[in-house]
Amino acid sequence: MDEYSDSDWNWEFYKELVEDVEENKNIIQCINCGKCVGDCPAAKVSNFNSRIIIQKVLQGDESVLKDSDIWHCYLCERCKRVCPKDNINIPLLIINLRNESFKKGYGPKYNDLRKYVEMAERFLMSGVVVEEALGEPLPQERIKELNEICNFARIKYVFKASKTNKKKKKK
Amino acid sequence: MDFTNLALDLEDIEKKYPENPLEYFKDKKLCLFKACLEKYFPGVRWGIQDLLEELNLNISTCMNQTCCSGTFFQRNLITRAQFAAINERNIWELNNQADLILFSCNGCYNSLMRGREFLRYPDVRRKTEEIFNILKQKTNENPENYQILEHPELKFIHDLDFIYLIKEAVLNTLKFDLKDLKVAIHYGCHYLNLSRDKKTPENYVKDKTKLEELVELFGGKPVDYQERESCCGWGASQLVIHPKEALKITYNKLKSAENVGADFILMPCPTCLYTLSKPEYREKMHKWYGDKLDIPSIHLNELIAILRGCEEERCITMRRKTPRIEEIFEIITQ
Repeated sequence: MDEYSDSDWNWEFYKELVEDVEENKNIIQCINCGKCVGDCPAAKVSNFNSRIIIQKVLQGDESVLKDSDIWHCYLCERCKRVCPKDNINIPLLIINLRNESFKKGYGPKYNDLRKYVEMAERFLMSGVVVEEALGEPLPQERIKELNEICNFARIKYVFKASKTNKKKKKK
Repeated sequence: MDFTNLALDLEDIEKKYPENPLEYFKDKKLCLFKACLEKYFPGVRWGIQDLLEELNLNISTCMNQTCCSGTFFQRNLITRAQFAAINERNIWELNNQADLILFSCNGCYNSLMRGREFLRYPDVRRKTEEIFNILKQKTNENPENYQILEHPELKFIHDLDFIYLIKEAVLNTLKFDLKDLKVAIHYGCHYLNLSRDKKTPENYVKDKTKLEELVELFGGKPVDYQERESCCGWGASQLVIHPKEALKITYNKLKSAENVGADFILMPCPTCLYTLSKPEYREKMHKWYGDKLDIPSIHLNELIAILRGCEEERCITMRRKTPRIEEIFEIITQ
């Protein structure tokens, strides 16, 4: 087990994350036991390691935002189930880190986001993620409402990018 | 109960109706939450719908219900407040027409509860209310549609919990049994690991064996396998983004079930079903990992329909090219 001194910790990054998502405050309870990693599906097939990610956050190491590992989490909540401490919500922390990563422009590659174009299009045009709903289609008022709710969200930019690409192709 | 937790209290029903829990549902209005992936597996919807009709329960679906948007929240394409607003609107619409919502999909079940859970946090709540205020100004709809319901009468129940609760009544509707077929059980992460619908820590950590018990009751043999609790591989769209890694998990799961001689793999979620049965994924696994896996995958609702003697198209829809699924259908219904 590594030994840490006071200088190893830097709370600024942690405070920022807690300010954004209050529930993140609970990660301070992490005892580094590694149960979350032992039971993690992503850890079996990639370098994703929730224990190290929490450690980096508590040490104020913002390089975690550039790290592609945060994009490998399955959000399966297994870690939440096996964690011996109360209310440490690793999946929510990961979603929050991904958001920060997006904001700072590190985010996933454009190619990865492109895989969501079709799903985003279907959702904003018909309210479902498949070609069409099983049964009656959604009323137009509800579709308009969904679009209004999603204003300024990344899903809208993905959607707009798809429309621009289509126009370019037509030309 | 906490304002956020809309999960139906199953223990309370068992206590109040120890002889026949179905009685509780007799005077209730039930609504089936429409999971997007039921489009590919209509038997998942029809299986539960036909069962409920046979049991003379009052059921419907909601015209105004949208996708739960879990996919977009989990990939950071919408915010927590937007996700909460989408789900609160669904809850409002569903609350207007039903007492109970049944979920065939782990993801949808999780999303609706998670959306409400976020509203515990003042900043998310404030932003959600801001979204609703804009909607009040911009649409011609009734302004009452756009508010957070503090204490809706509405309750949620997962199809697996519902079928387990009324298992004796379900058993009486069956024409066939499982003929000692060996069944590998897959619960799916957002059923197995979910804490949002639990009342006590014991509920959360205790063994989950409802599907095994149902399989035994229906005349099958549940088989234990190494990867029983592992993810199907979908992993909040990891299969789309990192297919080689994600399909390794899918492969390990299917291979592990085949290794113990399971005749098919049974699950309560259409997203897991999509991942574990899609022919394109099976081909890729064959190509990347060398083994051709042909174990069939079936949703619980589809299995109920097969056992009830529904027509083949109504149960498992032959548009689906899962290996050996017809063989299982033939064995059960011979």
